[in-house]
Amino acid sequence: MLIMNSSLSILAVVRKRYGIHLSQMIIFVVLIALAMLMAYPFLWLIFSSFKTAKDIVTLPVQLMPREWTLESFRRVLAAPDLPRAYFNSLGLSFIIVALVLATSSLGGYVFARLRFPGREMMFLMILSTTMVPFITLLIPLYLVMQRFGLLNSYMAIIIPSAVTSFGIFLCRQFISVIPRDLYEAAKMDGCGDFAIYLRIILPLTKPVLAALAIFTFLGSFNAYLWPLVVLNDKHLFTLPIALTKLLSTYGVTNYDLIMPASLLACLPPVIVFLVFQRNFVQGIALSGIRG
Amino acid sequence: MQDSMQYLKAKATVATRQKGHRAHIGSWLGLTVALCLLIYYLIVFVVPFSIAVWLSFHNWDFIVDPKFVGLRNYQRMFNDGYFWQAVRVTVTFSAVEISIAIAIGLVLAFLLSRLRGIAQRSILALFYLPVIIPSVVSVLLWRWLYISNGGAFNVLLTSLGLPPQPFLLSSEQALYCIIVMVIWTFLGSVMVLFLAGINEIPEHLIEAAMLDGAGLWRQFWYIILPLLRPVIVYQVVVSVIGTFQLFEQFVFLSGPGFSTRTLAVYTYQLGFQSLDLGYGAAVSMFIFVALLIATAVQLRRLHATFEY
Repeated sequence: MLIMNSSLSILAVVRKRYGIHLSQMIIFVVLIALAMLMAYPFLWLIFSSFKTAKDIVTLPVQLMPREWTLESFRRVLAAPDLPRAYFNSLGLSFIIVALVLATSSLGGYVFARLRFPGREMMFLMILSTTMVPFITLLIPLYLVMQRFGLLNSYMAIIIPSAVTSFGIFLCRQFISVIPRDLYEAAKMDGCGDFAIYLRIILPLTKPVLAALAIFTFLGSFNAYLWPLVVLNDKHLFTLPIALTKLLSTYGVTNYDLIMPASLLACLPPVIVFLVFQRNFVQGIALSGIRG
Repeated sequence: MQDSMQYLKAKATVATRQKGHRAHIGSWLGLTVALCLLIYYLIVFVVPFSIAVWLSFHNWDFIVDPKFVGLRNYQRMFNDGYFWQAVRVTVTFSAVEISIAIAIGLVLAFLLSRLRGIAQRSILALFYLPVIIPSVVSVLLWRWLYISNGGAFNVLLTSLGLPPQPFLLSSEQALYCIIVMVIWTFLGSVMVLFLAGINEIPEHLIEAAMLDGAGLWRQFWYIILPLLRPVIVYQVVVSVIGTFQLFEQFVFLSGPGFSTRTLAVYTYQLGFQSLDLGYGAAVSMFIFVALLIATAVQLRRLHATFEY
């Protein structure tokens, strides 16, 4: 009884001082418990990466390492294809992000502010491409890449990802609410359309470009199906492909490489997420895209 | 003579001026960029899409020249047991995954909206983590967790005194194993979207309800849920489109036989493994039309709810 009284008085103090209600504390505890449940698979990934090779593949599994070691990461670095695949994926993602930012902002500006014949129709045509799911284009896009002789090259990955109608749409929406006066004033001062883009529009579009950059980075760094279809040469493999190849060549026993390599594969997206968390939430609210 | 020369000159000036004037109406930068974009989409979208339509009326195996077969690929599709099996798997998966993810996501987003600041942000970050890591990583990780003979989940079940399960080895359980994994993956993004929707709802509505003595449950049921309807419909549309195209989840967590083969995986296998390109294109056209209809129906329902 005494304990209950004192804990109630603690609650009262907390409530008074911080404006936190009891219901909020209960919600917090419940949500934290559920979040831990979400994190449960990650615990296995993290702890397994610090096990010895034999420890990882021993069944039944055990969460905690019998012996803590960094040996598995050394194995990843020594594996012939993994470090290379890591840098392939990073490099490709940076190139694609740069291209998408350039094409989306320029395209968004052009369709939001400039006048030219057929503008509305062309914009609608670009938007209509989002109606067709990628899986429908998978086979024929492969054939197009084959015709251009681009199979098994990075161009086959970069070209279809360099422009997104979603990015153009997003930038157009954002740029069309930038006050028109800014544009008109710069025009009066003799600025050309492109100079206005560089000096006025681009700096003002930063928030939306940040969000777009994050999603594009995640999308290209994590992409699996298209790289799987167009890449054959294992020197060109991206990280997701290289990871799954480990599985198909050696079977379950190869988890001693898959675990630490997977943990390393999570680092770039997690870093991007943590650094830009604010833009993330903003970007999702802005666009409502899923994953 | 000189007169006519001057006349011509004057006419030319007017013409140039008019031309200059026309150039003023249209922005050259705009036109150039738009045309470049159109050419780009012609190559990566219009041409491939036309090829997909064209291929679906042909038979082709990459080697012998394509042969026109009319509607036979589509006829074959409607008599193909494997195709209907894939349709069943895809639709079951989408329906179950989406309803559960949205129900849980809604409740959690509402609870989360009652918190503020660092507490809200850190919990959201934990839920969002599976969204951002490479899908292949989560798929390989869950494949390992699902190992029936001494895998992590069965170790957990046994330690709780429950019987171990076959998981991916059972054709009844495999699809639901993938559903759990995909809900885990996307729950964070569902929550973020709903949270944004809840934040749009005026705070005074909820405060008024609280003054009237409405508890959390009634606030959720009578205020949040009806007002979030458009967001829910939007989430359903996006999720249907998303789940129809999931791929690696079904490849690496596949159950026995065809128990987890979806339309997307079937299309891939037809195109790149059986080299049955025409038929693969026909199946992929089916996915396109099915998604188009599903989206239209959902959006129509959204408009219908707005009318009263």
